[in-house]
Amino acid sequence: MKAIKILERTLISIPIIFGVAIIVFLFMRLTPGDPVDIMMGGSGFVSAGEVEQLRSEFNLDKPLHIQLWLFLKGAVQGDLGYSYVQKVPVVDLIKDRLPATIELAVSALFFTLIIALPIGIMSAVWQNSLLDRLSMAGSFLGISMPGFWLGIILILFFSVRLHWLPVQGRINFDAHLDTRTGFFVLDSILTGNNQALISSLKHLILPGITLGAAAAAVVARVIRSSMLETLRSDYVVLARSKGVSERGVVLKHALRNALIPTVTVVGLQVGVLLGGNMIVETVFGWPGLGRMVVSAIFARDFPLVQGSVMVYAITFVMANLIVDILYTYLNPKITL
Amino acid sequence: MFSKKRFAISLVLLLGFVLSACGGATPTPSVQSNPTDVQATAPATEAPVSVEPQTIVVALAAAPQTLDPADHRDRTSETVIRDMFDGLVTRDNISGVHLELATDITWTDDTTLAITLREGVKFHDGSEMTADDVVFTFDRIIKENMIEYPEAHTSPRKGLIAPLVSIEKTGDYSVVMHFSAPFPTGMQMLVHQQILPKAYLESVGTEGFIAAPIGTGPFKFVSAQPGYTEIVMEKFADYYGGAPDLTPVGTACVDTAVFRVIPEASTRVAALLAGEVDIIQNVPAELVSTLEQVPGIQIKTTPGTSPIWMEMNVNQAPFDDVRVRQAFNYAIDKDLLVSAIYGGKAVVLPGALSPNNNFADQTLKPYAYDTVKALELLAEAGWKDSNADNMLDKNGANFSFTIDTEEKYRSISEAVANQLRAIGIDASVRIWDYAVVKPLLLNGERMAFLDAWGDSAFDPVGHMEAKWHGFLTGTSYGRGNFSGYNNPKVNELIIQGETTVDVAERHTIYDEAQQLIYADAPAIFLVLPDVVEAASARVLNWNPASDGRINLHDVCLEK
Amino acid sequence: MEIIPAVDSPIQRKVYLWRIRSKMLRRSTKEFFLELLRHPTALIGGIIVLLYIFAAIFAPQITSHDPSVGDLHDRLLAPAWEAGGSWKFPLGTDDQGRDLLTRIIFGARISLLVGGLSVSISVLVGGTLGALAGYYRGKFDSIISRFADLLLAFPFLIFALGVMAFIGPGINNLIMALIFKGWVEFFRLVRGEMMSEKTQEYVEAAKVTGLGNFAIIVKEILPNIVQSVFVLGTLRVGEMIIMEASLSFLGLGIPPHIPAWGSMVAAGRDLLLFAWWDSTLPGIALMILVLSVNLLGEGLRDILDPRLKTIA
Repeated sequence: MKAIKILERTLISIPIIFGVAIIVFLFMRLTPGDPVDIMMGGSGFVSAGEVEQLRSEFNLDKPLHIQLWLFLKGAVQGDLGYSYVQKVPVVDLIKDRLPATIELAVSALFFTLIIALPIGIMSAVWQNSLLDRLSMAGSFLGISMPGFWLGIILILFFSVRLHWLPVQGRINFDAHLDTRTGFFVLDSILTGNNQALISSLKHLILPGITLGAAAAAVVARVIRSSMLETLRSDYVVLARSKGVSERGVVLKHALRNALIPTVTVVGLQVGVLLGGNMIVETVFGWPGLGRMVVSAIFARDFPLVQGSVMVYAITFVMANLIVDILYTYLNPKITL
Repeated sequence: MFSKKRFAISLVLLLGFVLSACGGATPTPSVQSNPTDVQATAPATEAPVSVEPQTIVVALAAAPQTLDPADHRDRTSETVIRDMFDGLVTRDNISGVHLELATDITWTDDTTLAITLREGVKFHDGSEMTADDVVFTFDRIIKENMIEYPEAHTSPRKGLIAPLVSIEKTGDYSVVMHFSAPFPTGMQMLVHQQILPKAYLESVGTEGFIAAPIGTGPFKFVSAQPGYTEIVMEKFADYYGGAPDLTPVGTACVDTAVFRVIPEASTRVAALLAGEVDIIQNVPAELVSTLEQVPGIQIKTTPGTSPIWMEMNVNQAPFDDVRVRQAFNYAIDKDLLVSAIYGGKAVVLPGALSPNNNFADQTLKPYAYDTVKALELLAEAGWKDSNADNMLDKNGANFSFTIDTEEKYRSISEAVANQLRAIGIDASVRIWDYAVVKPLLLNGERMAFLDAWGDSAFDPVGHMEAKWHGFLTGTSYGRGNFSGYNNPKVNELIIQGETTVDVAERHTIYDEAQQLIYADAPAIFLVLPDVVEAASARVLNWNPASDGRINLHDVCLEK
Repeated sequence: MEIIPAVDSPIQRKVYLWRIRSKMLRRSTKEFFLELLRHPTALIGGIIVLLYIFAAIFAPQITSHDPSVGDLHDRLLAPAWEAGGSWKFPLGTDDQGRDLLTRIIFGARISLLVGGLSVSISVLVGGTLGALAGYYRGKFDSIISRFADLLLAFPFLIFALGVMAFIGPGINNLIMALIFKGWVEFFRLVRGEMMSEKTQEYVEAAKVTGLGNFAIIVKEILPNIVQSVFVLGTLRVGEMIIMEASLSFLGLGIPPHIPAWGSMVAAGRDLLLFAWWDSTLPGIALMILVLSVNLLGEGLRDILDPRLKTIA
């Protein structure tokens, strides 16, 4: 039963993704700027013959709906076209940059949880204490702070002033990492390169905190409030009266129930992560997908923008789907 | 049940451990590199060779576009390429041309060049360079559609040696080049073409070549990150030594060279201060005085070859009136720009050519800073403040325009806009991606564009016909002409200068052209910044080059 | 609370219940403000927001420098409390010699304008569409709902970036870009509430008294929905302000001489090493404004709808 429901939900996501592709395509095509001009932008001059040749190579001389059809057909087969500016297949560019963004997202998620969980739990358990008030104030600050500013402040203190952490990039050159998967942390472990491991972890700290901070603020509050609710609920009172230790009450009962809204919120934060990573990647010079999209938009590199936005949209839709699915497992009362 | 709390606590502990393990250490450049598979070479070079392998890291301000010497028009690409590829001739740090792969180059007549090649030069794959490679290299540049990847197109560098008609082999180590007309800047232009290995390129194709380039330069390619954000090369043990004129001659001093791209200037500087890189390009001028006081850092400047101006669209109001354009030249305090934005490391442009250019008209003086005169001229053109709102207007509309520019010229563009606003002109700045705005400019759709156009050959050729000649589609004339300026007399002079060999005659021709352009003022002639680079004190034998190239051949790292 | 009088017909009963319910949910404006004043954090937030609005409106009167034009001779001066600073430029100057304090104050105009306008118009557009879709249902509803779902799949920033690239730079376009995606949330909220309110008894009662559909929507249902919309709106204002700053930070289109906090932070980034104030101080101004807006919003939520306390 559940499996069918899951399948249904997954199938519904597909038209959405196609819709996204169409919107992006239209946007890019209707944006002022001749793609051929852009492709030739860097070089000295080109002959008229070459211009025509390029136009037909990239199907730019065909009517709009044919171009759309060709794009969609290619996309389904995994061919997202050629980048105008870098002259290589879009999928290659995305594949190269994706691990960096994923590593950053994982790092951010890690910091989100590591900040939010203890704070949320402790604030709920010791409600209205100084800790509670401080952390609620802190979480307010977290959602009010623009990510780009937080990043810059962190760089100012931890890199420029204290020299504790690196200013930008993913890894120091002299770590000589032999990249296999593109996930530097994984690669350093696989190749037993300690220096690379430490270097890549160090580089993940400031960007991870910056990206995870805003989400942490939200998640902490959600954990706190849902735990507060459960801690006051009847069956917890019952458990306490039965003699279950306070710790048992907190961890076993309250926390488990707090997981539900937590999972929801974390899932929703995926959207924030996806959007925020562009800013964080720009601030920290992180060679990921976000930074590539920003410069591709400025450079009117249509195929690259199309492909990247599709990747983002797919990720977003899938994340929501996973959250919904997890939801049903956590709370059987809620059906898809 | 899985204890979330314990999990969290242990993660915190782990994090603390990791941080403490590296937190206290001051970041010193750890110069270790993996043992390279450099064959044990015959030593006996003049450069000091240290026992432990050394790596030098250079921070570039932008990423190279490609590693194919024939497929770009970009200084950064050329910088990286010229450490792996040599040419027939090379340039020293200023403007002198020296023999490199050629042992002799002579004009046998006005349009024929005989070249004798150096023998015993090896490509990185061990094969020897011969006349076949030289012929192949130049054929690939000048013939149509010779570069087949990603789709067949002509080399964008063809325009740099436009008069070259054909090249033929006259012996295993000699070639002859035929030109369509006298080519006075031939030597300077040949500096910008590097020799490629025919056999290798033909066997792997352009795509394979870009993935693993092979040249005759002091360094050989090891690896590159996608988008060329990082390029690694290692010393080529069988390097023939390099240009005999430019000592030291021999293999490279360091074992490995890495080029990293760090677009943000402050990050570049921070990386240098932290010891993460050894040399950085494009030091922002405001940092020069601060950096000069940091022990362990050296800063060097050299006259630059990228003059900056703000071109105005001369075919549209309000800039179709020469008085307005001249007024703008009087309105800008260029000395202030030099001292404030470039920290004094720049010179004011007297006119169309950089003052260091071999054919600059030395009698031309920069437009003076005279706001009174500027307002007079504007008033003559009809622009007055008729409604006392401190803004100039005409026929009821304020003088309002946008300065288009690229991100790298943001500071100076804003300063120019600022000074114009101070005299009542509503100027604002808009940042573009060059490739996006260029077609609009050539189409005459924009009003003003602030940018630089290089003359690394120190000769008007390569510069004037691109910038000040009228735009002719399908040719290289006017390819950088964003003002739409098209003065038939100037066009004539430019073309004449290209093929005149007599130096005195060229002076006359170019003097006249410069004076005409000065009077017509299609642009505000702004400044010529110096090349400012910085390096750690451990870097020896290093000097910035006027053309922006970072030549690592002779650079050493103190042990 | 009124005692329900005995009534003869079920219809009259319904009408009475409807009257009671409407009265209970609506507070008088006066009561509302009194509650607000008693709420400390909301009060502080509100006062600060008012201060910002005041500063934004009277910016030319309270500052002595020109926000767009500076003198290069005064370039990159330190704030007054640092070595090399002076009280002529209390917070220092930027790289064009413009007074930072003046620019920060003028920057409030853009942030408040963009934040306020984009949310208000999003509410209007989204709310109207949502009300119509939720009430009338049918084809209109499905088309717009599908479209809304589609838009939701885009991360906000990417969408805004793309729109700005399409329509070009400028403040108006920035606001449009924000509205383009911002309306979706309000659409869904109003639509959902409309659909559930529609089934309530008082709506039936109103129909019985002969009110037309349109009047029902406007006079009866909307006032009940207004509160949750208001609450969501206050949540979003802070976010929109940050979005605008982020877009300016990425270099979108507001000309550099016009003071906007985001672009000021971006411009100062290159100078962090030795002129930290350019990047840091505008960010602080931004943070304080958003913080105050959020505090105010939180307070409003507490007062209007304690139900929502559990949702961040």
